[in-house]
Amino acid sequence: MHPLQDVQKPGVEGTKTIQVRVNGQIYKREVPIRMLLVDFLREELGLTGTHVGCSVEGRCGACTIVLNGNNVKSCLLLAVQADGADILTVEGLGEPDNLHPIQEGFWEKHGLQCGYCTPGMMMSVYNLLKVNPHPSVAEIREALVGNICRCTGYEHIIEAVQYAADRIAAMPKEERDKLFSY
Amino acid sequence: MTTVSETKWVGRAIRRREDPRLLAGKGKYIGDITLPGTTYVHLVRSTHAHARIRNIDTTKAENYPGVVAVVTGEEVAAAMKPMLVPSIIPRLGGELQIPTVYPLAIDKVLWVGDPIVAIIAENKYIAEDAAQLVEIEYEPLPVLEDPEEALKSDSPKIHEDWKSNVLWHGELGDGDVEKAFREADYILSERFYGHRTGCAPLETRGAVASYDDFTGLTLYINSQRPHILRMALSQILNIPHDKVRVIAPKDVGGAFGTKAPIYREDLLICYLAMKLKRPVKWIENRMESLMTIGQERDQIHYLELAVRKDGKILGLRDRIIADVGDGRTGVYLGFVMPWLGAAYLTNAFDIPNVHIDLSCVVTNKPCLSPSRAFGEFPARFAMDYALHLVARELNLDPRDVFEKNIIKKFPYVTATGITHDSGDYVGAFKTLLEALDYDRVKQEQKEARKNGRLIGVGFAMGAEMSGIGSQVFVAMENQPGYGSATVKIDTHGMVQVLEGDSPQGQGHETTIAQAVADELGVNIDDIYISYGDTFATPFASGTLGNRGASYTVSAAVLACRKLKTKIQKIAAYLLGIESDSEEFIFANREVIWKKDNSKRVSLDDIADVAIMAPTKLPPGMEAGLEATAYFEANIASMLSIGVHGAVVEVNPKTGDYKILRYVVVDDCGVPINPMLVRGQVHGGVVMGIGNTRYEKYIYDEAGQPLCTTLMEYHMPSAADVPDIEVIEYNVPTPYTPLGTKGKGEGVPGPVPATLASAITDAIDRPGFKLLNLPLTPESIWRALNEDK
Repeated sequence: MHPLQDVQKPGVEGTKTIQVRVNGQIYKREVPIRMLLVDFLREELGLTGTHVGCSVEGRCGACTIVLNGNNVKSCLLLAVQADGADILTVEGLGEPDNLHPIQEGFWEKHGLQCGYCTPGMMMSVYNLLKVNPHPSVAEIREALVGNICRCTGYEHIIEAVQYAADRIAAMPKEERDKLFSY
Repeated sequence: MTTVSETKWVGRAIRRREDPRLLAGKGKYIGDITLPGTTYVHLVRSTHAHARIRNIDTTKAENYPGVVAVVTGEEVAAAMKPMLVPSIIPRLGGELQIPTVYPLAIDKVLWVGDPIVAIIAENKYIAEDAAQLVEIEYEPLPVLEDPEEALKSDSPKIHEDWKSNVLWHGELGDGDVEKAFREADYILSERFYGHRTGCAPLETRGAVASYDDFTGLTLYINSQRPHILRMALSQILNIPHDKVRVIAPKDVGGAFGTKAPIYREDLLICYLAMKLKRPVKWIENRMESLMTIGQERDQIHYLELAVRKDGKILGLRDRIIADVGDGRTGVYLGFVMPWLGAAYLTNAFDIPNVHIDLSCVVTNKPCLSPSRAFGEFPARFAMDYALHLVARELNLDPRDVFEKNIIKKFPYVTATGITHDSGDYVGAFKTLLEALDYDRVKQEQKEARKNGRLIGVGFAMGAEMSGIGSQVFVAMENQPGYGSATVKIDTHGMVQVLEGDSPQGQGHETTIAQAVADELGVNIDDIYISYGDTFATPFASGTLGNRGASYTVSAAVLACRKLKTKIQKIAAYLLGIESDSEEFIFANREVIWKKDNSKRVSLDDIADVAIMAPTKLPPGMEAGLEATAYFEANIASMLSIGVHGAVVEVNPKTGDYKILRYVVVDDCGVPINPMLVRGQVHGGVVMGIGNTRYEKYIYDEAGQPLCTTLMEYHMPSAADVPDIEVIEYNVPTPYTPLGTKGKGEGVPGPVPATLASAITDAIDRPGFKLLNLPLTPESIWRALNEDK
């Protein structure tokens, strides 16, 4: 039994069973109805790459994920709202020995320092490059307004996005499509 | 001094070794650490800025299902000494009044956010629920928000046992200031204000503590200085030092100074783990964070400059009033930052006659906590912008005023006692003006003005500390300034480096490895860096103040050199050579005799002999291959210069301004990894732009904070800031083994004077001045309309 089931407070007790697909794997879990999606990902599924920087304001962007093809702040949704959803988190982006071009770009161009904003930042870059393979600097800056980085001053992040865009543009179409299957 | 060309790894812009795990989402931050049986803490904080606590009723919270314990101030205080133990009190002379500090408020609260009750529960949702059920009765007291009001003798005392609200008062300076002012052709006298802002990192504070009677206390905490914290915990909690282990996680989500102090929550979490004998976890939420940490700057400068008509500054007088908040945060007490701001006030300028009077005043706000450009942000604004105002007043080109006053001979000791080790400040300044194409911009400015467009150019200097030697640091923080590192070659010929500092994104796993790889002639992948665990690493003061590249890297280099002496003796013995050592070169994992390079031994073989087969060592030689070094530079302190310049366009109707160009000419001695240095400069400038233009901790008259979310405290996004151009202008320092110096800490400092001078140049109206930060469109619009 989940500890939250003990809570005797109107409106917060109760659980619900949800099913989600995260990074290609299907999970079926009974969750407290008030559990935030970000806590579900981090604490129930152990996917701690998605970070929390602003405690449920939706401003910092560290918890950004891709949900049913859209960027969402996972601190602004309840886990039960994600029932049936198809989710991509940073853990599904690439493997250490087979990085996604976005990850490669951040590595090559020093697009991260402390790394705390990076997973959420890359999720926003993912959706940018999915719809706009050749963004201008201004377009990159606009696309990232929902993700705060306190370390890099954004200069190297922009270079990282440009690097990724160039790498992806040089790939055959089928490979490109595989990179953006979410 | 070693030149870059002799080395293989140092100087190369290689990718960071810490990045693969961070990019894969496998970083290990404090929030990712949970021990079996963990309980969760939520703090009930004061809703009043100044009040007596008349009653606390925790009954309902205690009875809430899932609550493990509810703890109030007196219980916690009874279990420990007052937190400000002598070893963490700075010794800077002057007059210091020390507050009594315990983790939770007892009887009285001093600012909105002051922690009062701790709820410990089975999970964080329950802890937060139960916190809503705590009932606290307050008796409000008069609120002091203005430090100049708090200074008045009839003001209520925030700390009732003090004789005034002045936490620290003292004077700095040297020379004949009276004479300088008598001989001056012109005296500039202005009041400059640098507002309350700082460096909120994206990851808030957090701690996980556990306790058992045998191993004692283990505290995981995203601290910049785990060794200092361990020492303080042992003393405050009265636990033997061997029973206190502090571990900083492998990854920390930024700090910028804010994670350097010894906070009240640190002690609280330890106490709770000891009380409950269960692991306790606390992750600060963003609202608490914006109410508690990262608030810095907040200085008023009554600055006077005695100037000769050619622009030479003969003397400086400054009366500084710093609003330090409640003054209760350990190590710094809110006053070390303004003290350093005063000590570094004269920046990169040769001003022989200086008198500074500094009063650090308590108010009903959270204590100042360190933020990158430690204490210097308002000081740089006052000093460098004042030089531009002098130029305008005397009808001189500000370029000439700067050049006339910039320090030219090194080492140079300022009138406040700060030692500038080496560099070429004038060269860096001239390089900036060339990069800005200053004369052409001034020409374009005239053309643009004809079309009604207001373009301006501005600049400022930033001589930032690059670590501080023990000579200064012992007095300043009661702690050593040396860098420390242990280098071990293991049984497999791999090299482990243990450092006592604890990074938060600076890239130590890469930069230290670059330096060590060159020393030992190994590949960078042969090296692994360990840090954070106070049970395994040598004592050090922590990752702060640009110490890394100056002191810690140097300690690693010295440790390698100690080891190399032994390795060469072993090599000579194994090769049957008569050699006094120092006759070998280290390359490609081999130790090669200079006189006959066919005589060589692999490092693996030497490690095997020294560790696994000591019978093969020279007779009498001790087994093992490890060395620890403590590096102290043979000079009081090192600084590195950064010169900032900007071109802006101002809209006089709205006061809005656009940064058309932002250029930094930067010196860090020998850059270990130029890509990482650029990253530090970019990030520092953008933080400076945020602090100058977008960020301000605002309090209303009742002391209520009005910026407790990131919507209200606007840290800049990518769309808010311009491209930053960085030009290297590196002069190796002779005071470190590789000529390296730290970089990044002070970068925000020159930003406000750069932007203020550029905006003033664009407006170019007699009497127009920007004396108060932040520089928002509104503040500029007001300044424009006030002087009409």
